Amino acid sequence: MKLSPILPRVFAAAALFVSISSCSENLDSTGVCDVLCTQIGGAVQNITLDAVLLDTTVQALSGLGTEPGLLLASRGDTLDTRVVIRFDSLPATFVPTGGTAQPIASVDSAYIRLMLDTTTIKGTDPVTIEAYDVDTTANDTSSAAVLALFRPDRFISSQTFLRAQLTDTLKYFISNAAVLARIQSGAALRVGLRAVSVGSSQLRFISTEGSFGPEMFFRATPDTLTAPLTVLPFSRTPVGEAIRAGNLSDYTLIAKGPPPAPPSVLAVGGLPARRVYILFDIPSNIIDSSTILRATLLLNQLPNTGIDPTDTVAFLPQVVLAGKAVTDPAKAAQIIGAISVDTLRLRPGDAGPANVELASAIAIWRTVKPDTLSRAIVLKSVSEGNSPLELRFSSSEDVVTALRPRLRISFTPKVPLRLP
Amino acid sequence: MHKSLWAGIALFTVSFASRGGAQGALSLEGLGYPTGGLSARAEGTGGGVADFDALSTASPASVAGVGSPALFLQYSPEFRRVTSPAGSATTTTARFPLVVGVLPMGESWTLALSSSTFLDRSSETSLARVEVVGGPTDTVTVTEQNKVLGAIDDFRLALAWSTSPKFRIGVGGHAFAGSNRITFSQLFPDSTKFISSAQAGRISYAGFAASVGMEFRPSRVIGFAISGRKGGDLRAQSGDTAIGKGRLPDHYSGSVTFEGIPGVIVSARAAHDNWSSLNSLSSSGIQAFDGWDIGGGVEATGPRIMQRIVTVRAGARFRTLPFGFNGEKVSEKTFAAGLGVPLTRDRASLDIAIQRAARTAGSDVKERGFILSVGLRVSP
Repeated sequence: MKLSPILPRVFAAAALFVSISSCSENLDSTGVCDVLCTQIGGAVQNITLDAVLLDTTVQALSGLGTEPGLLLASRGDTLDTRVVIRFDSLPATFVPTGGTAQPIASVDSAYIRLMLDTTTIKGTDPVTIEAYDVDTTANDTSSAAVLALFRPDRFISSQTFLRAQLTDTLKYFISNAAVLARIQSGAALRVGLRAVSVGSSQLRFISTEGSFGPEMFFRATPDTLTAPLTVLPFSRTPVGEAIRAGNLSDYTLIAKGPPPAPPSVLAVGGLPARRVYILFDIPSNIIDSSTILRATLLLNQLPNTGIDPTDTVAFLPQVVLAGKAVTDPAKAAQIIGAISVDTLRLRPGDAGPANVELASAIAIWRTVKPDTLSRAIVLKSVSEGNSPLELRFSSSEDVVTALRPRLRISFTPKVPLRLP
Repeated sequence: MHKSLWAGIALFTVSFASRGGAQGALSLEGLGYPTGGLSARAEGTGGGVADFDALSTASPASVAGVGSPALFLQYSPEFRRVTSPAGSATTTTARFPLVVGVLPMGESWTLALSSSTFLDRSSETSLARVEVVGGPTDTVTVTEQNKVLGAIDDFRLALAWSTSPKFRIGVGGHAFAGSNRITFSQLFPDSTKFISSAQAGRISYAGFAASVGMEFRPSRVIGFAISGRKGGDLRAQSGDTAIGKGRLPDHYSGSVTFEGIPGVIVSARAAHDNWSSLNSLSSSGIQAFDGWDIGGGVEATGPRIMQRIVTVRAGARFRTLPFGFNGEKVSEKTFAAGLGVPLTRDRASLDIAIQRAARTAGSDVKERGFILSVGLRVSP
């Protein structure tokens, strides 16, 4: 039998090529699954449970000065907040251009640079920002003691801004003499800012915690060739508590907050900031013996017509990381972890159903036993401590059962991986 | 309109839920595809020489014809296309279905140890369906992904006796072992609302069988071979839990070769497998069918290339695959061609076979595949 010798060579070369190309396996037969595949997972069951064991409103105890913003508001009888900035360490000397260090004998063009969040400005009237000397030996966190210092004999300076002048970088000029006096006496300069306006006014500055905090600049010599000096907020007190002192280098002081929600109502946000703590009792057979596909907290929003009812509040559910040893909801609600980046947005003045997705929380609870991690979440405003807006929801004390918080769970039975 | 849509979805779900446990291809029904334990040489002849071929695992008697110690490894990727009225899928499955070591011991005895793929279940499928998850109007598409990797393998220890080429006899002990690693996932499009899940598991198999084979060549022109394998229990376990038990299928075959034309071997083979003994190893009632495996082919001395005489082969094969689809038998027709090349002064050889397989089950679903087998034999 005679065959062309080329044929086997071509055959062998093709076999080699195909062998190499087949090293990457592709088993996916999805294209014919409509006919050739069988549904494996069971039918989805949707049930709504009265699974809320405890729901309550607690204070956000993150601490004075921990917010990423400084709220300066003057809104009549509704809201009055002040801003305190501490410059406890002032330079005593400066180095002129081409010269040597010498004591500061004069202060010129002193101003505090404030980064303003222009998207949150409220009010169209001109606003006057008054500065007061709020240095005191009283307790660092005593709001009453500091508020009492906003009085005429403590007045430092003021500056009025038209609405058009409220840009993202604000230069607030402060009394040169006041700065020089503190430098020469070696005292701290603690400035309290208050907004005064014919109408309503609200400004939000970025704080030190927000990475673009206030800074003070001044010239120690009329010679413009010498660079201005920069002073950053700094607090010497409380002594020995560096973190708290750092927080108190700039902070918001609440002179008057919006009226709190009734005790039987769940409230998120507001000033002072509040959170909602909800502890669930989810049947273990659902968590352990089924595959949970979705979990939704069904809330009933109550209208809050107080302040800015048509503005939007973004809030997030966060999972409580406190162990069972922490029995106080107010404390447990401070030990939380983020589970979602997708915020829920509601308007305080609205009413009706509001759904909070808890898929991520369920995913965590599925892996940790309730003895270790309680089945609890916290509802927290994204702008906690920086916004007076407050959302309100019916609690489990609501007289109408259907309006109480409930948990809707969608699940399928666990699929045993069995023989085909 | 809305109600009819939902009724359609429900009917769709129910109708396909009632199907057997299909795994994306006709050949992957049930416990999987039987590669057959044939060497590239045997595949090239439609299986005709399988009972005489020392590098195939069909008959333990055949190992006596190896002549010298040999190691053999085979790679057999399959390029498959499945077509249904709703669409098609193209897949590539890489398999190493056969490893054989043969050791002559003295002038009469030969020992062989081999591992061959018995049933390969490697597959991956995705099935999308619409479900109400949450409120009554919250419909979402759930995608079920099911991935199965692994196979049941046949580990055989064979001992053959022969004092002349006229008669050979052999016995084999088989251990069937292997596992299917299963990953089942339910995926949702929006992770902020829904929880995608994944389950993983492993089903292990274990069983034993024994085989015997004989070859008889009354003359130089013609030869006969018969072989049989008796199956024992095949047990399936998930973790420590027994989840099923069946019988390994009994197998018997007979072959004939004709060498009356110089340089040409014509061969034919018929085999039967009692696959239905595996029926109890199904949780969804997939039916296994007893089936015939019939094939034949020609092997001829080909051209001389680089001082080597190349052997060319061609054959055809028809067989019934073990597991049915929708209660119907799945049949496979294969046409094959191949060649064999001696290497390094006959101390090694390379066998290549290409098979074109067509599989049907009396439905609109068609399956076509190319199986390329490359086998390398080395005699140290």
